[in-house]
Amino acid sequence: MVNALTCLLKKNVTEEAPARDEEVEAIGREIRTVIDAVFGRSLAIRELDTGSDNATEIEINNLNNPFYDVERFGISFVASPRHADLLLVTGAVTHNMEIAAKKTYDAMPSPKFVVAVGDDACTGGIFAGTYAVLGGADKIFPVDLKIPGNPPTPAQILSGLLALMKKARKE
Amino acid sequence: MTSDTDIGIRAAQEFLGTDLLKDRINAGPYDEQYVRIEETEFESAVTHLAANKFVLISLFCCEGFTANAAQTLFYVFERRTSILVLVRGVNGQATSVADLYPAASWFERECRDGFGVEFAGAFDTRRLFLHETYPEGFHPLKKSFKNAPVVTKKTVDPAGEYPFREVSGEGVYQVPVGPVHAGIIEPGHFRFSVIGESIFNLEVRMFYKHRGIEKLAEGKTPQECVRIAEAVSGDESVANATAFCMAIEKISRVPVPERAWYLRTILMELERLCSHLGDQAGMLVDVAYPLGASQFSVLREECFRENDRLTGSRFLRGMVSPGGLNRDIPKAQLDELAAFVHQMRNRYKVGLKIVLSTASVIDRFATTGVIRPALLRPLNITGPAARASGGKVDVRVNHPYGIYDKFAPRVPRLRDGDVLSRFTIKASEVMDSLDLIERLIAAMPEGAVRSDAPVRDGYTLAMVESARGQNLCWVWIKGGVIERYKVRTASFCNWLAIEHAVQGNIVPDFPVINKSLNLSYAGTDL
Repeated sequence: MVNALTCLLKKNVTEEAPARDEEVEAIGREIRTVIDAVFGRSLAIRELDTGSDNATEIEINNLNNPFYDVERFGISFVASPRHADLLLVTGAVTHNMEIAAKKTYDAMPSPKFVVAVGDDACTGGIFAGTYAVLGGADKIFPVDLKIPGNPPTPAQILSGLLALMKKARKE
Repeated sequence: MTSDTDIGIRAAQEFLGTDLLKDRINAGPYDEQYVRIEETEFESAVTHLAANKFVLISLFCCEGFTANAAQTLFYVFERRTSILVLVRGVNGQATSVADLYPAASWFERECRDGFGVEFAGAFDTRRLFLHETYPEGFHPLKKSFKNAPVVTKKTVDPAGEYPFREVSGEGVYQVPVGPVHAGIIEPGHFRFSVIGESIFNLEVRMFYKHRGIEKLAEGKTPQECVRIAEAVSGDESVANATAFCMAIEKISRVPVPERAWYLRTILMELERLCSHLGDQAGMLVDVAYPLGASQFSVLREECFRENDRLTGSRFLRGMVSPGGLNRDIPKAQLDELAAFVHQMRNRYKVGLKIVLSTASVIDRFATTGVIRPALLRPLNITGPAARASGGKVDVRVNHPYGIYDKFAPRVPRLRDGDVLSRFTIKASEVMDSLDLIERLIAAMPEGAVRSDAPVRDGYTLAMVESARGQNLCWVWIKGGVIERYKVRTASFCNWLAIEHAVQGNIVPDFPVINKSLNLSYAGTDL
């Protein structure tokens, strides 16, 4: 059992922060600035898997681990599409997910953005033209940005989001 | 041949007789025994196998295998180290074995959707991977269907909706969850029937992510198909690619260089590490203990980065190929990996100590989500989930592949079958994987990492132990290309365990039970 008192008296209770990624920090600072200016200080993201191989989900999940911790940049992942500004779509759109995916999109309040993450969500990837999928996310709703990769790294996803927000700022 | 590998043949002798068996049996390259079985003998054969504790680990269909039958059904049975495959030719009609082997229910529904084979006497005849929007009479795995886009319904009227099992009674109400969940998770539907806070029944509906993996593989060369095997389930990329390549190597009799197997094994154990660390972090998030969760998610991210340094992919993709590996990993990088593993072990122990000395965590984990040992065999539950319920199953030990006969892992077992047992088993496997990687680096032989040989025709079974358990594939090569690629990941069978594990638990404990089983949706839906 860890005694709470010894924790208080001991020096350096907290662990050393993991090595900082200068690249991620720089993207994060920029994202912070744009989110403050355009989105009233917070960007709410709803993640939607329409048929990925789960690697992309893992990378998106990783955005919340202590290395990236994107909440400090103003990005939060929300439970309901009704709370979301942005839909992050992964995987080719399967026939079995088509109706649920459209409902999720329709449940989001406008204005809304859609970002396709990973090769399959961008174009359908290796599944394009087969019986089970419709193709990329743009087959069922307008897509504002595509982030290719198999899967893209957390840093690539972040810089994709930054690019989108810069675009939104100009508009 | 040891007595254990003989079990299958002996059982077949018992239900067919020695004389009949002689012309009916042939051995596959994976030491699996194929026995052709007539319709009249089938029922007694399966009853005999069920009585002799054989587990039905897979059942799949294939066209054009038997000369005088439209479809061929392969019933894959396992007992200890022995694998027996009953080969049953049918013409669109078969009898169900789901009463004897509950695991067969999903298998049979899968065959029905894919090939249109009807199973008489099945207790569940709903469609499985083809949801409501697919047209009636559509069977994508038939050879007559060329893989091309199909027209599906854009809406489903209430009468055409999927009929869930109805649970009624005083105070029973339903909680539908999914397919889109309140987190960054894959899609699937859970239909809870709840009394008060306790779960009375759960029905899982999957296959929202059905991408047609098996059909996609057909007609591809083995080299092209590795990419498809990696896409079965992202966090099992190495396991599924290795199983597929093993099958190709067995069929074409390609000798894989020793160094390639050492490196493959390192990759497979790294994949296991990432998977288990992610589960453990996830389980702690689900019981609201972020301090503990961060310990493991930091280690996992470092693991991903180490993967990236070693192979150029955080998911170790693009390395495994038929005949060995696409690239060698130089010694300097392996030494660096050894140092990484060493410091990782110490930090992992610190994290584990914090978690296991926290009363609130133990309180939520213990006695939650129990999988009874009696379920293991009927449902073919494998992997850490089985070993936490007293199961003695591990493909690395039962059917050693590559160099696992030289580096056999111990099979840690616990008997409680609750979330705490699964957490503890995974902790023990993390430590074992770290040790194994170190030993492999120390014993690494020199030499080539790939041998090329022409692709030959044939068919075989191949199995690996992924982080989630027994991953099986069956590959049939015809004319140098894939005629049939059947994948059955551990999750496909383990999903059924969760329906039992949650009964009597409260709905808020569902996420942690689900995470402790760590089931792959993509690997199930294909």
